[in-house]
Amino acid sequence: MLELDGLSKKFKQFYAVKSLNMFVERGEIIGLLGPNGAGKSTAISMISSLAEPTAGDVRYNNKSILKKPGEFRKIVGMVPQEIALYTDLTAEENLQFFGRMYRLKGSILKKRIQEILDLVGLADRKKDVVQTFSGGMKRRLNIGVALLHDPELLIMDEPTVGIDPQSRNYILETVKRLNKERAMTVIYTSHYMEEVEFLCDRIYIMDQGNLIASGTNEEIKRILSSEKTISIKSDQLNEQFIAMLQEHPLVNRVMSTDKEITLMVAKEVSMFGDLTKLAETAGIELTSVHNKTPTLEDVFLHLTGRALRD
Amino acid sequence: MIGILLTKIRMFIRNPWTFIIFTVMSIGFALIIGGNGAATTISVPIYAEDNSVKGSTLEKVLKEDEAFRFNWLKEEEEMLEQIENGKAEVGVILRDTSYQLIVGVDSPNATMIEQAIQRAYRAHNLETALLEVSATNAEEERVSVLEAFDKSMNIPAFEMETTSFRSEDAVIYDNTFQTLFGFTLFFVIYTIAYKLQPILVEKRDGIWDRMILSPVRKWEVYVANLVYSFIEGYVQIVIIFCIFRFWIGVDFHGKFLEALLLITPYIFSIVALSILFTAIVKNVQQFNAIIPIIAVSMAMIGGAYWPLEIVESKILITISKINPLTYGMEILNGVVLYGYTLEDLLFPISILVLMGVVMTGLGIHLMERRHV
Ligand SMILES: Nc1ncnc2c1ncn2[C@@H]1O[C@H](COP(=O)(O)OP(=O)(O)OP(=O)(O)O)[C@@H](O)[C@H]1O
Ligand SMILES: [Mg+2]
Repeated sequence: MLELDGLSKKFKQFYAVKSLNMFVERGEIIGLLGPNGAGKSTAISMISSLAEPTAGDVRYNNKSILKKPGEFRKIVGMVPQEIALYTDLTAEENLQFFGRMYRLKGSILKKRIQEILDLVGLADRKKDVVQTFSGGMKRRLNIGVALLHDPELLIMDEPTVGIDPQSRNYILETVKRLNKERAMTVIYTSHYMEEVEFLCDRIYIMDQGNLIASGTNEEIKRILSSEKTISIKSDQLNEQFIAMLQEHPLVNRVMSTDKEITLMVAKEVSMFGDLTKLAETAGIELTSVHNKTPTLEDVFLHLTGRALRD
Repeated sequence: MIGILLTKIRMFIRNPWTFIIFTVMSIGFALIIGGNGAATTISVPIYAEDNSVKGSTLEKVLKEDEAFRFNWLKEEEEMLEQIENGKAEVGVILRDTSYQLIVGVDSPNATMIEQAIQRAYRAHNLETALLEVSATNAEEERVSVLEAFDKSMNIPAFEMETTSFRSEDAVIYDNTFQTLFGFTLFFVIYTIAYKLQPILVEKRDGIWDRMILSPVRKWEVYVANLVYSFIEGYVQIVIIFCIFRFWIGVDFHGKFLEALLLITPYIFSIVALSILFTAIVKNVQQFNAIIPIIAVSMAMIGGAYWPLEIVESKILITISKINPLTYGMEILNGVVLYGYTLEDLLFPISILVLMGVVMTGLGIHLMERRHV
């Protein structure tokens, strides 16, 4: 359905997005994951035909959208990262305004507005001015506006930043429902991997303008096939024990919290015997030691040496 | 486009305060600084030393003078007192065949008063001469000679007409209109410019992007914004003028509707200027900082605060030629004070329309180039 071919955007001397290749099949939910400044929003604005790429092409049904974006724009719903609403107007008036932009009129518009309000759970607040809304409600309306013309492709740029867990779950469930019930294709940008893991069929991971990994959840995690993660739990963790682990020749990485230590080691290594010995030397008792399934966070750490979020 | 306009009107109804404030400010400033229109003719104390002056043509002509109100006093002292106290700039003592001007403050009015006095004496002398010539004739004839004279006073033998618009010789300065027009044209800049500020907000917040993605054409968005800003600016001027015309009772020398009609090119040019600045600035803060600077300097250079005629600096005069406000003042003064016709005002009108077209084009072009 959609295909990005070597898409690049250069600001002055630096690339915000560099040779991005990507494809989206009809009915998929695609995740675009990356830390702040990775170039997600820049990529999104090129995909949605709002920004002109420095190089590369975006093709919809095998036709470039750069020259004639008209047809493509009709089927795209865009949820921008900022709250793109008139805060002086009520929820209903905002929907009316953007509905008219999409040439909806009269009873059709009215019906559509009601559907959207129900969908995003704001029917009882429709007469309230957006200014008085909570962050989560604004986010929901921000999504609602993008759905007015019933788009085939929904592009969402970090639709859940800075909101309460309830609204967040509501939004995630709504996206899943739209995808299931209306076969809506979704491109979902985020820097929360739980969201992306939960929602997406396939994931693209970006960092500093570059695509560093892509594939299904499982495929990406298989990047870690050469390593495994070991989780150690104990009530008595001390500095000595951690220092000994860090110096151990077979351990690649150590992350520690109060009661848990996560180790990354080569897949074939068995650490069990060594761990018991080290614990004895340090004079502590281990509650549990087990191999963990890797998360996308681990993948990002592996690929960049940095955590996804600060 | 209708949708955009409707939404703008809706938002205006919800928050009309900036509009109201600028309207009230225009009216307030014009009233406080310009006076209420009753006391615009200058009062001149006058004292007749010879009794024969009273009831003569001299008195009649002076009474009919439009620019000055001659205040006939009984005592010479009274007049001197007024001048000493600064209540009057110039006083006049009339004698049968000569006059004396007592100048307290050396003002341009003194010359104009003297001219008025001289005019009156010419008429008076002419009449006396005529009477002498016809003295020998019968009473009847004398009356008819006088009647003929009266007639010829009303219909001058030859008429002088000033056709050059920029003629230096005839400057009419009327404080009421100066401040009314000046402050109206000044404050309306704010009203118009701030109505285009939403473009910047919409771009910042991503609302603009939403409109770009929708089937609405971009020219519709621009036109809706420009038209709306124009309408609000125009409505403000209409309200201010109506208040002065119908409530305060300033007659526009019968040119009320003409004034309202011919000021539209000025509004157009200010809308255009605003869209140009909207395109040049980087963000809303810059826009808010720059508009007052533009408005105030335009008002100063363009003669909104004081008449351009008293400005002597060549540089300022030159700059004023590229200032829409200069032409706005020219149009209003021209229509109302000088009674110019549309034809006479074709020059300032064409300049404003030209400025408007060029700046709108440039503004939209810059905005488009920056955005992509
Ligand atoms: N108009 C612009 N001019 C110059 N640099 C820009 C511009 N827009 C974005 N950038 C830069 O490009 C890089 C990528 O920005 P982008 O907004 O795409 O990141 P992002 O992945 O969306 O980040 P976030 O999670 O914070 O939204 C950043 O370093 C940003 O500073
Ligand atoms: Mg972003």
